[in-house]
Amino acid sequence: MHIYAFGSLCRGEVSFASDVDLLAISEGFDSRFDPDVFSIYSYQRICQLWNEGNPFAWHLASEAKLIFAFDKRNFLEELGPPSEYLRCVEDCLKFEHLYAEAVASLKAETSNRVFELSNIFLAVRNFATCFSLGIAKVPNFSRHSARKMGGRSLNISDPCYGLLERSRILSTRAVGAVVEQKELDTCFDEICGISSWMEGLLAEVSANERV
Amino acid sequence: MNEFNNRIDAQRQVLRVVNAHQFVEELLGLSRKAIERWLDVNRVKPSEDVATLLFDISSKLFFLSCKSQEQVTEEYGLLSVEIRSLRVSLEEALAERASIISSL
Repeated sequence: MHIYAFGSLCRGEVSFASDVDLLAISEGFDSRFDPDVFSIYSYQRICQLWNEGNPFAWHLASEAKLIFAFDKRNFLEELGPPSEYLRCVEDCLKFEHLYAEAVASLKAETSNRVFELSNIFLAVRNFATCFSLGIAKVPNFSRHSARKMGGRSLNISDPCYGLLERSRILSTRAVGAVVEQKELDTCFDEICGISSWMEGLLAEVSANERV
Repeated sequence: MNEFNNRIDAQRQVLRVVNAHQFVEELLGLSRKAIERWLDVNRVKPSEDVATLLFDISSKLFFLSCKSQEQVTEEYGLLSVEIRSLRVSLEEALAERASIISSL
């Protein structure tokens, strides 16, 4: 069994909204690990992710800190760097689809506001992370990766970005005040504008693939 | 649609079922904490069918509900049939609860 910390804590991005991401690698089912607390993986699956060059493998490789090792060895470090990430187009399209579905739902109905805004935050963040890994070659696993892309950063006002982040925290950690319709109305045009940002980056991703 | 998007959609369908009913506060997500908040605010007892069904669905959709970085990965099993069946049970449990409350 190996236990690692990763995520915002390891990046020093600590805030009131931060949680603690813990990874447990074990052989088979281990009832000691609460899935609400740990991300639980088998050694075999971790090796698979490494061989696929999966973004999660790159995330762990770049920041996971060993907390406990039954054999006193750093399993992840000994794996070396993951394989090259080759699924950027596919992953970016997946997150663009997530974004588009969430916007469509926000337009069609008044319920599930928080959930859909949370999906948009997730889509934006993961889209940016995959882009940073696949195209920019400067992997960024920050919660705010979309705003740390230099000239390619998402252009969105602080209040509207804050609304998306707040919704993500509400939907996952259940902390905060529920989003009112008027708050959404204020930011709706900016949220719809995210599609242009994604389209621009997708054009780069597609062009890069052709090369 | 791929597995990842399908699972987000499955979560969306469950929230629509719950939020179609009148409660003090909407269900905001399917993480354990979001469900606990919803139960607490709306005074739904954890022992009620609605609660146990939600927790059951949540555990099956766990990767979608709270581990955002893992959502980049594609390691989701095929539980869609089971989740659909639980959603139907949830709809029935909510309807029954609403009918009991309206008869009081």
